[in-house]
Amino acid sequence: MTDLAQTAPALPASGTRRSLKLARDRLLVLVLILAAWESAGHLGVSEIWISSPSAVGERLWTLALSGELFVHMQRTLTEAALGLALAFAVGVPIGIAMARYKYANEVAEPFIMALYSLPRVALAPLFIIWFGIDLFSKVMMAFSTVIFIFMLNIHEGLKTIDRDLVDLFRTMRAPRALMLSKVILPWLAPWVIASLRIGIGLSLIGAVVAELIGSSAGLGWYIENSAGRLDTTGVFAGLVALTAIAAGGNLLVARLEKRISGWRAA
Amino acid sequence: MNAVARHLHHDAAPTKPKIGFEGVDVAYPTPEGGRIPVVSEASFAVGKGEFVSIVGPSGCGKSTVLRVLSGLLAHEKGTVRINGRSLEENRERIGFMFQRDTLLPWASVADNIRIGAELANIAHERRDARVAELIGFLRLSGFEKHRPHQLSGGMRQRVALGRLLAFEPHIYLLDEPFGALDAQTKIAMGRELLRVWSEYKRSVIFVTHDIEEAVTLSDRVLVMSPRPGHIVRDIAVDLPRPRDPKQLRKDARFADLVDAIWSELDAGH
Ligand SMILES: Nc1ncnc2c1ncn2[C@@H]1O[C@H](COP(=O)(O)OP(=O)(O)OP(=O)(O)O)[C@@H](O)[C@H]1O
Ligand SMILES: [Mg+2]
Repeated sequence: MTDLAQTAPALPASGTRRSLKLARDRLLVLVLILAAWESAGHLGVSEIWISSPSAVGERLWTLALSGELFVHMQRTLTEAALGLALAFAVGVPIGIAMARYKYANEVAEPFIMALYSLPRVALAPLFIIWFGIDLFSKVMMAFSTVIFIFMLNIHEGLKTIDRDLVDLFRTMRAPRALMLSKVILPWLAPWVIASLRIGIGLSLIGAVVAELIGSSAGLGWYIENSAGRLDTTGVFAGLVALTAIAAGGNLLVARLEKRISGWRAA
Repeated sequence: MNAVARHLHHDAAPTKPKIGFEGVDVAYPTPEGGRIPVVSEASFAVGKGEFVSIVGPSGCGKSTVLRVLSGLLAHEKGTVRINGRSLEENRERIGFMFQRDTLLPWASVADNIRIGAELANIAHERRDARVAELIGFLRLSGFEKHRPHQLSGGMRQRVALGRLLAFEPHIYLLDEPFGALDAQTKIAMGRELLRVWSEYKRSVIFVTHDIEEAVTLSDRVLVMSPRPGHIVRDIAVDLPRPRDPKQLRKDARFADLVDAIWSELDAGH
């Protein structure tokens, strides 16, 4: 019977060579884009419309030296991050409650969907009246854009949970806390990650839109302000800084995803 | 009734079997709002330390009987008792191995087994040793860190069995636990199950489609009718223990029992 004991195959290697190649090729694409952009200026497209990578780079450098860049980045990042965190903290429990109290959810569903479909951007002026032109109104805008993502994703995740798995733990009389920590939350992890992935972009939209409408700092304000002066270079510099924040956020989520939901890779 | 079974029945107070199922009806709701009977007037008893198999055609309600016993499914009529008490009052651990393996997909083999020990409140210090012991015993050495999706179906079944054993149940409900195993592993696992069983003398209800397996392992084999299922025959297996599966195959009494069960199933009641 000893032949029954198979030897374990090695787990797949991480594939460092492939990821190096990937990084190189992505860099190549970036360089190509920048080159095309730069040469467009030399081929006669006016810099007033598209500025140029070198001008934008120069502007970013000046802004960084004066520290102004980081003030705006930090401001926008704080607004978006607080809004995202608040949406997570409120949206996940609501999503769980929606799955738990089916009837109440049925009653509330048309209202939730109506709010969800409402372009939240239209709320920005109202939020400025309610919450002022400082940080809080921007956080609330980011929050209101993202919260539905968490609510609906968590609800969906719970609807598809493996009933047998839950039943099995019920037969073993698993206490509620263990059921939550060992079965339900790990099951939801991929849905939380997916929500975060979408939420990063949306929370930035919320924060920036609120800044465009009324504020005195942040990347949205900087972009709006530059555009008002027909300073295309300033607009692009603001956009690059925003992109950097979004990319950083996505990188964090990708890390998180690798750590907690590798089992889905099957 | 055979010597072994008589002995076991003697152990359990005759009026109070370990598991009692009397005149039980179970129905599932239909999408149209009606109810479809699945188990009808099912009655049987399992004594303390007894190993009982249930066989019957697919869809006759074997898994349903186990779901009722585990408390997952309510019955409509009749009484279900464990140690003479209702299911709500029962405090003993019931270990249920589902027909489909239900492992935590994100947890390693070792963690999947460990959770059984955790739920049985086995002391922290003893858990690791217990998990290691079970992994060796189930021939899963070297796969401790693997996730379920990296295992074969038969290996996943063995992990599920490991979790069940780590849970140290007072009652075992096994729903085709070896269904995904090759004949050889099946026999090896059956032998190990018998070893655990004879060591702790727990009551076992074992659902299977493999009649030879049922006869090899059991004190009694219950035969169920097609849906709505009830127990049509209760066949005592009066073969001496310990049993060697390979020797049994040459035993005329073994062949007679297998034949008897086959003809019960063929009769189709
Ligand atoms: N959740 C359910 N809802 C409605 N009907 C169900 C449900 N589960 C099982 N049934 C029905 O109940 C009957 C008995 O099912 P059960 O799973 O107990 O059969 P079984 O004897 O275990 O069959 P098998 O040997 O194929 O596993 C089947 O006819 C099935 O269609
Ligand atoms: Mg079944």
